[in-house]
Amino acid sequence: MGVEKKVDIRTETVDFNGQSAILVSVKDGGCVIGTCSVGNTDRSGSVNSLTRVLYIGNDPVLNLICPNHGNKQSDKLVSFSPGFQGYDKKINDALTNSFNRLNEGESLQSGLRDLMGLLEDGVYTVYYSDYYPTDGNGIFFWGGYNISHEVHGTAEHNRAIGSGTFKPCFLMPTQPMDYYTARTKVSTDEQVKKRTVQGIVYHVTGLYSALLKGHHGAVSCVDNNMPFRCAVIEKIAEPYTDMIYTMPAPTTPPAEEKAGEDAADENAESEETPAAPAEAAPAAEPLIELPFKGITGFRSPSVKIPIEAFPKDMLRSILEGRSEYKPPHFNVIAAKLQTVRRKSVSNNVLPYSVLDRAEQMPDCEMIESAYAIDELTDEQLNCLLAGDVECNGKIIVSPNFYTSIVTACSFLQFKDTKRFVDFSIAILENPELAAAHEYVARRVSSQSDNKKIFDFFESVEKSGDPKYDKFLATAQTFVKRYKNR
Amino acid sequence: MAFCDLRPVCAADDEKGSSYIIGSVFAVYEIGADQPSVYSWDMIKSVTVTRKDITVQTVGKCHTITNKMFSGEEDILRAIAIIECRQKEYRFGYAHDRRLFPLKSSYIEMSPGKETYIGEDILDEGDTAAAFIMLLNFKLVKILWLVGLMIALVVFGVLHFTIGVTRSNVLYFIPISAAAGAITALIVYLITHAVARGRFKKIADADLAARQNITFVISRKGFAACESCVYESRDLIPWEEMDYFIESDKMFILYKNNVPAAYIPKRAFDKKHIGGIADIIALSLEQR
Repeated sequence: MGVEKKVDIRTETVDFNGQSAILVSVKDGGCVIGTCSVGNTDRSGSVNSLTRVLYIGNDPVLNLICPNHGNKQSDKLVSFSPGFQGYDKKINDALTNSFNRLNEGESLQSGLRDLMGLLEDGVYTVYYSDYYPTDGNGIFFWGGYNISHEVHGTAEHNRAIGSGTFKPCFLMPTQPMDYYTARTKVSTDEQVKKRTVQGIVYHVTGLYSALLKGHHGAVSCVDNNMPFRCAVIEKIAEPYTDMIYTMPAPTTPPAEEKAGEDAADENAESEETPAAPAEAAPAAEPLIELPFKGITGFRSPSVKIPIEAFPKDMLRSILEGRSEYKPPHFNVIAAKLQTVRRKSVSNNVLPYSVLDRAEQMPDCEMIESAYAIDELTDEQLNCLLAGDVECNGKIIVSPNFYTSIVTACSFLQFKDTKRFVDFSIAILENPELAAAHEYVARRVSSQSDNKKIFDFFESVEKSGDPKYDKFLATAQTFVKRYKNR
Repeated sequence: MAFCDLRPVCAADDEKGSSYIIGSVFAVYEIGADQPSVYSWDMIKSVTVTRKDITVQTVGKCHTITNKMFSGEEDILRAIAIIECRQKEYRFGYAHDRRLFPLKSSYIEMSPGKETYIGEDILDEGDTAAAFIMLLNFKLVKILWLVGLMIALVVFGVLHFTIGVTRSNVLYFIPISAAAGAITALIVYLITHAVARGRFKKIADADLAARQNITFVISRKGFAACESCVYESRDLIPWEEMDYFIESDKMFILYKNNVPAAYIPKRAFDKKHIGGIADIIALSLEQR
């Protein structure tokens, strides 16, 4: 399968715009782990969807149906591949080896070296990042993809975040749910406390990465309320273009020539037009767009690297490479896509506490809003509550009011729970914002142990006011749960 | 996306010292420049492919890559395939000479399914020229009859006015008029033959595919007629893309918008499979 082939791996740390990134280029890689296109048809036979697959060894692991001809702004339908049969021991050993080396204190570059040799050719960036082991919608990741469904945040180009960088933080599994055993969890419960790195992930799409190593560790981390810190591998292949602006060059004529002419001109002008304020002159100078010279650089979700920052051989490798391609053993993978694995019988179920904590973790909308908005002041929140999308002549979040409310709620929920609760209650109290009531009530009810929300929902329940009709059921459920907890 | 696995192509201008990469982006290494100018395909305004070169028009600059800059014909074909696929995605202007086979932008990637026939062959000049002539004959056959009849009548009229038709010479005049019509029809027929062959030669000269091994695939889902050096086993044109087909003794000719879109020679396939192939095509397209 190519693992034995001599792989050329080069590592370089590049500095640009005050940041730095570790780049790893892989040449003659094993093509053991990667993604590739499977064709333009889904199971329904529609040719409007592009199907991609994440494979490990000879096994298809995740199916990604990309609607609208693979449009990069569309969310994908994701499912764990039924054709997965269980990958090679050699691959598992390589993953375990890399994982152990990272935990023994080796650097990312040397610790992941074995694993990088298993990837497709290309240039990658590696870094550490904390992950939420959920599907981005409150469901623990391991069992979250058994049925094909649209997963929010899987679009390559996130409409909410725009062209900025973001760190993927949600997971997709590379092992079926029935691989989970309570006995293994008992041992990982102790191990995770000693580990500095809890998992290794490979970025798949949008805000989602596939967990290559550390499934049981993820269960233990969530159960023990520990952050799930992962070594992340992302491919750098997508071109990006940032418009570069500069201040115009000063064009003031020499002082002695100017003196005589200006005196007369200024006198003439001062009679016709009022004098402009002194500060206005520099502000009025428009920024000049630099001449267009093609793309600015290449990016992965988390990093944008300008062309000039790349080492020459790595840049050449990107230009002469492909963002993804079919491995030599593609036919085996394609054949397995048509099969269904016989599942082993497992009575092991994930602990309730893990599922409950997963539900409390930030969801995809919160993460998107955190990247989309830098700050929300009280003044801006008051404008939103008054039904305005603008504050001091500037759009607060979006020209669309409902989108603004939704994004603001998600942002506050992620950044500042107290302000989120106050803002949500203010929305729910305002009958003119009834369109947002159902959504806001559902969001705020996730704070299941908040006394202020309980008091508010209890008053809603008792009042019987028709203005609360849209979220009365949510309020009743919350109150009942709060009392029974 | 079809043909998504094609390896990018490098072309070098040894005289100027610049080089080009056509792949997921279009990159230009210009002489003396430290960094390449890299263009994503949405920045490309238009591409023109002629028999001699490929011209890529970017914002404010035009890059001409001659065929000599590529290391071989396979590289040129791969570059054209990449450009055509990107054109489908990014909709930049694309001009090209007439082709013997469909553009790569018509293909989509899908599994061909179980009932699939695959053949490989170089397009035979004689067979294809004969197909051209046959197609021209289809159009000309009525006109030829008409021209023959008209000439016969004209000759008969001329004989009548110059010599005068009498009982004694009418038996000579009729065969003479008929022969004149037949000879004229024959001359027209020979001229059209030459025109058809010339037309084929012109297309074949402009299309590198005429001298390449072609992979032909016929399946229930669609067909492929593509240079073997570029073909990727899962790229097909759905039958819905075509309108009808004509079958000659040597070829299936598939039509789109009343223009032949693909010539599929029967000899590319095993003889025992021809029946099955004909069945699939007949079930998928109207025969004329």
